[in-house]
Amino acid sequence: MKIVVCVKEVPDMESKFKIVDNKVDESQIAFKMNDFDEYAVEAALQLKEKFGGEVIIVSSGPERVTKEVRQAFAMGADWGIHVNDPEVDKGDSFVVASALKKAIDSLGGVDLVLTGVQAEDDQAAVTGVMIADLMGVPHCTNIVKLEVGGDQKTLTINRELEGGLNEVLEISSPCVLSIQSGINQPRYPTLPGIMKAKKKRLDTKKAAEIGLAEVGEAGSKTSFVKMFFPVSDHKAEIIEGDAKTAAKKLVDKLKNEAKVI
Amino acid sequence: MARLLLIAEHRDGKVTEATLELCKAAKAIAATMGASPAAAVFAKDDSIAKEVAKYIPEVFSVTDAKLEKYTADGYVQAAKAVVDAQDVKGVLVPHTYDGVDYAAKVAMALGCGIVSNCNKVEGSAGNLVFTRNTYNGKIQEERSVKGDKFVATIEKGAFDKEAAGGAGSVTAVSASIGDVRTKPKEFVSLMAGSVDISQAKIIVAGGRGTKEKDKYNDVIVNLAKKLGGEYAASRPVVDSGWTDAARQVGQSGKVVTPALYIAAGISGAIQHVAGMKGSQCIVAINKDPEAPIFNFATYGIVGDLFEVIPAMMEELG
Ligand SMILES: Cc1cc2nc3c(=O)[nH]c(=O)nc-3n(C[C@H](O)[C@H](O)[C@H](O)COP(=O)(O)OP(=O)(O)OC[C@H]3O[C@@H](n4cnc5c(N)ncnc54)[C@H](O)[C@@H]3O)c2cc1C
Ligand SMILES: Nc1ncnc2c1ncn2[C@@H]1O[C@H](COP(=O)(O)O)[C@@H](O)[C@H]1O
Repeated sequence: MKIVVCVKEVPDMESKFKIVDNKVDESQIAFKMNDFDEYAVEAALQLKEKFGGEVIIVSSGPERVTKEVRQAFAMGADWGIHVNDPEVDKGDSFVVASALKKAIDSLGGVDLVLTGVQAEDDQAAVTGVMIADLMGVPHCTNIVKLEVGGDQKTLTINRELEGGLNEVLEISSPCVLSIQSGINQPRYPTLPGIMKAKKKRLDTKKAAEIGLAEVGEAGSKTSFVKMFFPVSDHKAEIIEGDAKTAAKKLVDKLKNEAKVI
Repeated sequence: MARLLLIAEHRDGKVTEATLELCKAAKAIAATMGASPAAAVFAKDDSIAKEVAKYIPEVFSVTDAKLEKYTADGYVQAAKAVVDAQDVKGVLVPHTYDGVDYAAKVAMALGCGIVSNCNKVEGSAGNLVFTRNTYNGKIQEERSVKGDKFVATIEKGAFDKEAAGGAGSVTAVSASIGDVRTKPKEFVSLMAGSVDISQAKIIVAGGRGTKEKDKYNDVIVNLAKKLGGEYAASRPVVDSGWTDAARQVGQSGKVVTPALYIAAGISGAIQHVAGMKGSQCIVAINKDPEAPIFNFATYGIVGDLFEVIPAMMEELG
């Protein structure tokens, strides 16, 4: 099977966030692969192990994102396309989805496109659905189980629903699936894997080279207005002191103030 | 008059809570826009449309055998038919599993922009501002939509539920539903038969901050035992196999309302909070003072859970 996985780089959410000029100050941020995308990479690798074929990573972002693409290579992906164009990065989800779709088009037909359920930074959960629509193929989101039939065409999938419920459905390839965490245990790259990853093919493309004309703010269907730290009308009563002092005060409050223990 | 259209969600013949929240949202946002609120219901017959009409003045009902079960293809074709037949300026979809599955495709079919996961929509006609959570709840963002139509998905819990009472009109809209490319088979529950944490009076929940299985057991399970409560977890803990799925709290797990909920090493993502915000007393232990969980907690300790919890155990004797 020829499987594409869309991999996005996101900030580590434990980084120190500072907003400067209505943007996240990236100098303070550590970056990593979007959690959900790691599960998508693993799902693709398992299918390749079963059916053969290749796993191609597609990512859009600045130079930095080659680190996450190489991480996917080290896990076992074969090669990749890096859309490295600031004009795409300035666009909204529609522009990014269009860029990823054009990159996928350049592969001349694929069996499966996997994305994560959502990006931890923009939390949009729209990119995979848009790619499917642009490709004219069916999609399904929040996949927690994925089985491909012997014909390599018929897929039986579990779609996650509220409160531990799943819906079982059938879909045929080619299709786009957004992969939910917990579907598998993503492997760690091995040392030989890391060595091999350095030599794997990674094509870098600008928007124009994949035939995408509408980029940036002009190509977007939505506009960013501003960002800010949430102001909550509720704040916890913070119990001060070193661990021992704070623990003592907390236990006292739970017993005598809240009266819950 | 221009309309703001919500797409109703239903399962097993029942209108979901998210739909009632959307009715409230649609009324408030429609007023801002100078539009009138309406709902679209897609089903095999119009019984659900009649139910939704108790909550909103105007309901458009698309009925077709192919709409008996939710599918993205079915919903998108039905939504397109209603928007084409009426003067619709905006479409609201719940940010639920079904909603997320089709909302972006509706936007693509209408050729308009989508803002997902909104918790507030304000402004005026032609100048709506959508507020949404980003960076796992650490930062809020405002966006606007270009063009004369929009699709927005609304975060669960952002609006109260609308109360029944009205007697809205139900108008049939005809649509020819063509190809449906996903074939729903059955529903399965992954939680049956295991522990029921929703009955516990005290819950100690651990998150990714507990680092590994042994440590999770060491601090979380032991503190729960000492307090005579149940232990629970955020999703990453379950995904990593440190405890079973029946102990997961949140949107895709259990909803719990104990007297005491201790969240240790849990950041407070909206999908987790959805499952525990109704707890009477919430304690957050997190080393990151900016973790969103502190916005929901009664008491907070900013510190290392591996120091704080053992100290609590000692204090409890
Ligand atoms: C459709 C969907 C459904 C979902 N359903 C659920 C659900 O039902 N339940 C759920 O929980 N999640 C759910 N999630 C995932 C959710 O978005 C978050 O990713 C998840 O809740 C994060 O879990 P966490 O807080 O344990 O981990 P993280 O967000 O990684 O937070 C770990 C926290 O631990 C703190 N920490 C680290 N070390 C220490 C230490 N030594 N001492 C103290 N604090 C420490 C860090 O500061 C951080 O705040 C869902 C996501 C999606 C997209
Ligand atoms: N810039 C990007 N590069 C590669 N994949 C992306 C990018 N943005 C989004 N995706 C994919 O789309 C999924 C959903 O992202 P989003 O719609 O932004 O929440 C992610 O998990 C990725 O798989």
